[in-house]
Amino acid sequence: MKPVEVIGIDVSYGAKKVLEAISLHVERGEILGIIGPNGAGKTTLVKAMSRIVSPENGTVYLNDQNLDSFSFREMAQQVAVVPQGISISFDYTVRDIVMMGRHPYIERLSSGTSRDLEICDRAMQLANVTHLAGSSVNAISGGERQRALIARALAQEPKILLLDEATSNLDISHRIEILNIIRSLTGKITVISVFHDLNLAAYYCDRLIMLKDRRVYAVGPPEDILTTETIRAVFGIDTFIRHHPFTMRPYVLPVYESPAALGSARRVHVVCGGGTGSDLLYALHREGFQVSAGVLNIFDTDYATAAALKIPCVTEAPFAAISPGARKDLGRCIDATSAVVVTAMPIGQGNIENLRILEDFQDKPVILLGDGGNPSFQDCTGGEADAIVRGLLDRGAVTAERIEEVLRVLHGAA
Amino acid sequence: MRRTAPITILALTCTLLISMACAVALGPASISPGSLVTLPNAWMIIWDVRLPRVIAAALVGCALAVAGTAMQGLFRNSMADPYIIGTSSGGALGATLSIVLFAGTGRPVFAFAGAAIATFAVYIIARQGGKIPVETLLLSGVALSMLLSAFLSFLMYTAGRSLHQIMFWLMGGFWNVSWDDVIVAILIPVGCLIIYLYARDINIISLGEEDAIHLGVNVERLKQILLFVSAFLTGIAVSIAGAIGFIGLITPHVMRLIVGPDHRVLFPAAALAGGILLLWSDTLTRTFANDMPVGIITACFGAPFFIYLLRSRMKA
Repeated sequence: MKPVEVIGIDVSYGAKKVLEAISLHVERGEILGIIGPNGAGKTTLVKAMSRIVSPENGTVYLNDQNLDSFSFREMAQQVAVVPQGISISFDYTVRDIVMMGRHPYIERLSSGTSRDLEICDRAMQLANVTHLAGSSVNAISGGERQRALIARALAQEPKILLLDEATSNLDISHRIEILNIIRSLTGKITVISVFHDLNLAAYYCDRLIMLKDRRVYAVGPPEDILTTETIRAVFGIDTFIRHHPFTMRPYVLPVYESPAALGSARRVHVVCGGGTGSDLLYALHREGFQVSAGVLNIFDTDYATAAALKIPCVTEAPFAAISPGARKDLGRCIDATSAVVVTAMPIGQGNIENLRILEDFQDKPVILLGDGGNPSFQDCTGGEADAIVRGLLDRGAVTAERIEEVLRVLHGAA
Repeated sequence: MRRTAPITILALTCTLLISMACAVALGPASISPGSLVTLPNAWMIIWDVRLPRVIAAALVGCALAVAGTAMQGLFRNSMADPYIIGTSSGGALGATLSIVLFAGTGRPVFAFAGAAIATFAVYIIARQGGKIPVETLLLSGVALSMLLSAFLSFLMYTAGRSLHQIMFWLMGGFWNVSWDDVIVAILIPVGCLIIYLYARDINIISLGEEDAIHLGVNVERLKQILLFVSAFLTGIAVSIAGAIGFIGLITPHVMRLIVGPDHRVLFPAAALAGGILLLWSDTLTRTFANDMPVGIITACFGAPFFIYLLRSRMKA
């Protein structure tokens, strides 16, 4: 018996189709996140499950029973909804609002028993609004009002909690506070929530359902759903997927700008390492250069960046010194490019070959990117690296303080 | 519910009772307690003229205030009122029709039918995707009132001898109130009681219709019941005293400031205050203003209040 099961529903507003052939189910006690771009139908899906809109075709089941067979009262005893925020025209107190959550349990002529009051108090405690009980809902902050709405939902003692972007209008600390409260309820309560923030969805949800163009695009655990491919298909943006270092949940990092369509087809090689070249690689990629990088050890931060940007890379095994094979590959790579950029990376015996090799390409333009226009390598080679750099400067290598200057030089050379 | 609520209700009840006693004692003919024994006319003035008029004024005020409170809660909009959204005009047209066609027979029924038709018409016209925005509500009320007033003008134009009577429905007043009207007015407490049963539901629907559904309120049925009973109350009020404006606007508003927005307290408070307000308006006009239609007095207070609300809403 599933708490909620949706089978093949279509929803239209007038002539406009909003949801098509949506099927999903939720397991008891889990948090199911609904994600997708604006207009994909997320809110409508929540409305269909809370009976605000009724589907043209298909059925929503609550514990194997058709939603339509419930009275409004019975329904409110099973399902509570936390809206995105409501404007309340009259000055009710927080306690008034929370007590309204008991409405489906209180008889018409009664004003509620002491048990109702107790439940109401407990709900306010859970949602951390007890101290606000006597305040007007119009005199408290957005985060506090949202917590009051959560307390109201809890006072309904629901089996299922639906959240329609219940935290979207709040700052990050309030979002986390409210989502932590909600997660502490799972086990007893099944939660279905619309999320805009993919990373919050990844962290808090057991499973995600991704909507695109009124239909379900993908369903599954966050690590299966939040991939570069699905996000590009659904949201139309490029992203890196990393893992949050503490939780190991997927963490989505957007690529803010896509590569220029008409970049110069000029090839540039970047010698970098230890994270000193990541921003440069991204900038060159964005500007449309054909970039290569290396030699980089696998596991190097810059290697991860290059891999994510699909920049071809000469690689070496983790923590190994540059081998003759890798050096040969690097040579071929540099030979094919029109310029080499060297970042101010730490140099040791392991990667000194990256600099030595430049002495073989006396005619190749070299740009040294480093702090203060004076490339200051963290030289761990006892002076050899410094000597090579001085040599490069003597034969006309250009220094650049910032990435913009590198780009200007490269564009100017074109 | 605020702690001061029971005290406020008690104070209002006492005020209403004292007001009724004062109103019976006041009038163009001064009657001292002693003269009740000596002058045979004195009893007649008290019993047949003043008492029914005082009771009717209090009950009509009560009906209009409760109908106004219910509409404001239902429309989530403190500018709704039976007069403004056209319920009263519909009732007046119904009453006028009964005068022109049947010499006044079945007036309360006609007034109620007119009020109900006008209310549901405004409700349907103003509704946009399940919501009733203030602007469309007020504009639909204005539009419908124009149409109704055209019908009324037509009836007045063709009315001949009943013209004076029709004028009365437009202005609102308690000149011809008799015990027969008071008997009809007994239905007013019944209507108020029915609405009071839904006080908690109205609290919830005043948060918004979707929210009310989430909390287990059968919203469509609630709206139908409330509009129907509000029209019923307004229809009875109009059949007794014509179209009196703004009692249903001012009273809930002021009472909400005093007792808070909880309709379980707001309804009794508004009912009592509406009775007091209309009773004193009527007593003033019949004692000091040569029995001018009381609708003129309430409009003189009410229209500026309405403008004030409109201005403060714009600022917000």
